[in-house]
Amino acid sequence: MDSVVSFAGWMPAGLQNAAETGTSVRAVIFEDDIAIWRGQDGLARAWQNRCPHRGMRLSYGIVRENRLTCLYHGWTYDGTGGCAHIPAHPDLVPPKSIRAKAYGCVETGGMIWVARSESSEPPPQISGTWMPCRTMQVNRSLTGLAEVLGTGKANLALAMGAWAGQLRVAGLQGAVLLAVQPMGARGAMLHACVTGPEDLTRASDWIESLRGHLERPIAA
Amino acid sequence: MKLYDYVLSGNCYKIRLFMAFLDLDYEKVGVDFYPGREHKSDSFLAINPLGQLPVLEDNGVVIRDAQAILVYLANRHDPSGQWWPQADHAQFAQVVQWLAFADSITGTSSAARLHDMLGYDLDIVAARAGAHRLFRILDSHLSQQEFEGHHWIAGPSPTIADIACFPYTALAGDGGIDTFYYPAIQRWIHRLTRLPRYHNMPGINVFA
Ligand SMILES: N[C@@H](CCC(=O)N[C@@H](CS)C(=O)NCC(=O)O)C(=O)O
Ligand code: FES
Repeated sequence: MDSVVSFAGWMPAGLQNAAETGTSVRAVIFEDDIAIWRGQDGLARAWQNRCPHRGMRLSYGIVRENRLTCLYHGWTYDGTGGCAHIPAHPDLVPPKSIRAKAYGCVETGGMIWVARSESSEPPPQISGTWMPCRTMQVNRSLTGLAEVLGTGKANLALAMGAWAGQLRVAGLQGAVLLAVQPMGARGAMLHACVTGPEDLTRASDWIESLRGHLERPIAA
Repeated sequence: MKLYDYVLSGNCYKIRLFMAFLDLDYEKVGVDFYPGREHKSDSFLAINPLGQLPVLEDNGVVIRDAQAILVYLANRHDPSGQWWPQADHAQFAQVVQWLAFADSITGTSSAARLHDMLGYDLDIVAARAGAHRLFRILDSHLSQQEFEGHHWIAGPSPTIADIACFPYTALAGDGGIDTFYYPAIQRWIHRLTRLPRYHNMPGINVFA
């Protein structure tokens, strides 16, 4: 269904607080399964969610300092993806060829953005200070989303030239930054940021009702 | 105290975890849940006619239901009152509300896990959909708590409601339920695993 659009350029992959310091979490963008983790240095990394050893999900990994250790057999990767330690061969210096596959990863607009390493697009730059509010999974394919967003009362299609856009929502002091992260058969993630704490609760209620609207059956 | 226990049971894990948090000594009586179905044997049905784990025995008192056991242990062994706060009526009710919610998580997420891991014959689509419905509610609630500067289900510190909701939320992946949809739940799981004396159960792939 979503075959027209594919993973090119920078895509939203979560709000900044989805990956807290010292944790690794899972994100799906179209068909790509990604581990996002944050070291003690505060930097977020996005890697293919597959350990080069036997394919264990790296989102189950253990973060210590600025390294990620795979849960399965303990292969440990440095912050750039290079394998730094193999517990079964403690004296071996792992060959340079063993690397986790890294994506480009930047943070802007209160969100984490990733791009495939081969992408040459410049990273997005969203001006202003944005505070993470809510992420919500919505059971709608991208085609379905576009259909509803384009026709719906919110008329969001206009605001979302790319994968994110700013909106004005009645009752809020500031704007809402809304991003869409398509997940193929899993629907999509909607991410919302606000400009200040006073809008958190209302924006959260608004995005809950938006999801309800988006998930309503489309009349044939 | 004697706990009738099965190592892969999330409901038994609630009790083992709370015993650890309270630093209590107790005896474990292993029940061969799978493949032995010992929880449906005549001798176990005499202890719990529902044929379910966990069951706690303490000085002749027999308590079934994980949530009831948590309440009992908190009342008897937590002089601080942190885990079962009773001074504030609204908070008290919140804890009870989420204890009941925890049993609904068992009815959906744990059912899906029994289907996927042990081949139980049940409506797996309904079980997973039911779990997602509950996790949306929990994720939304935890987000609201975070907006208020609270990191736990029922207020500023962890209560037995957090313990009761934890295992089958953290184990949902075993039943084919994706919890990466729920970032506030993920943060809460990580927080819980970082509490002093936390210990893991097989299948919960989160480390402090
Ligand atoms: N409401 C009970 C549910 C306990 C429960 O479902 N236990 C499972 C093991 S985790 C069990 O014994 N299932 C067998 C059955 O229900 O027949 C509780 O919270 O303790
Ligand atoms: S699969 Fe990761 S270390 Fe073996």
